[in-house]
Amino acid sequence: MTRADWILAFAIVVLAVLVGPAVRAATASAPSSTVGIAGPSGTSEVSLFAESELHVAGLDGQVVVVVKDGTARVVDSSCPDRVCIRSGAIAHPGDAIVCIPNGVTLRIGGERRDGLDAVVR
Amino acid sequence: MDLMPLSANTVSARASAATRRVVLGGVLLAGACVLGLVEAGVASSLPGVRLGLANIAVLVALVSLGEGPALAVSILRVGIVGLATGSLFGPTSALAIAGALAAWAAMALALRGSVRFSLVGVSIAGSAAHVTAQFLVAALLAGAPGVLRLASFSLLASLLFGIATGLVARLVISRLEGSAATGR
Repeated sequence: MTRADWILAFAIVVLAVLVGPAVRAATASAPSSTVGIAGPSGTSEVSLFAESELHVAGLDGQVVVVVKDGTARVVDSSCPDRVCIRSGAIAHPGDAIVCIPNGVTLRIGGERRDGLDAVVR
Repeated sequence: MDLMPLSANTVSARASAATRRVVLGGVLLAGACVLGLVEAGVASSLPGVRLGLANIAVLVALVSLGEGPALAVSILRVGIVGLATGSLFGPTSALAIAGALAAWAAMALALRGSVRFSLVGVSIAGSAAHVTAQFLVAALLAGAPGVLRLASFSLLASLLFGIATGLVARLVISRLEGSAATGR
């Protein structure tokens, strides 16, 4: 490996270490007590402090969301990669779990805070 | 292009060089597809971590054939693997195409630039760009920048697998050079 390779590798490590705190700082906002769940069949807002289990219809089947003790997590999903399940529990404003194959997004705080009403694509 | 009058010999030599390039491009595309399918079959045990095997073929194409053919190998690979696995035009296709384009662009830049990267460095640039582009598109599609927080682990993994695929690509290219199929 050349010197440039090492510098590039080091830069990637630095980026990897910094991206977490940077995103956390950028997305931090007022504490939130709700989680917004957006799916192909619509969006809903659920209180984080009422224990509940929700079955969200996705593009590819069902996504099972469990809300408990101020956190939300996906416990089961019909998607192939199951990235959403392995994302674990979210609790802080701006935190999100996304199941791309099912088109389902969980987001603490719910509403977009970027000033947009909707995104069309 | 040289201005020498062409003899039948140079015409046929040129034609055979062109044939060789077409064949090598086809072989690399086939290889990229197989590697992509193998990778799709291997269940990733961690989210956001992929081996990036198909990048080997793209890197070899980039070095031995040039930027255009490498882009063709990369994009056609995404299309063919998507067709074979049934994910073409699905919601994950945007991620796959963004990753493939970013990896190609990063590797092309790394090879073109004045800074001397080894093949391993070029491969690292490609795999890191692949991960970064996928996370950015995922955050954009989901409208949730919080997704990016998961990127740090994937970036570290991409470094590891970028080194591995770079070493494999170097091996392949050294064999190709042995067969005089490349100009590098």
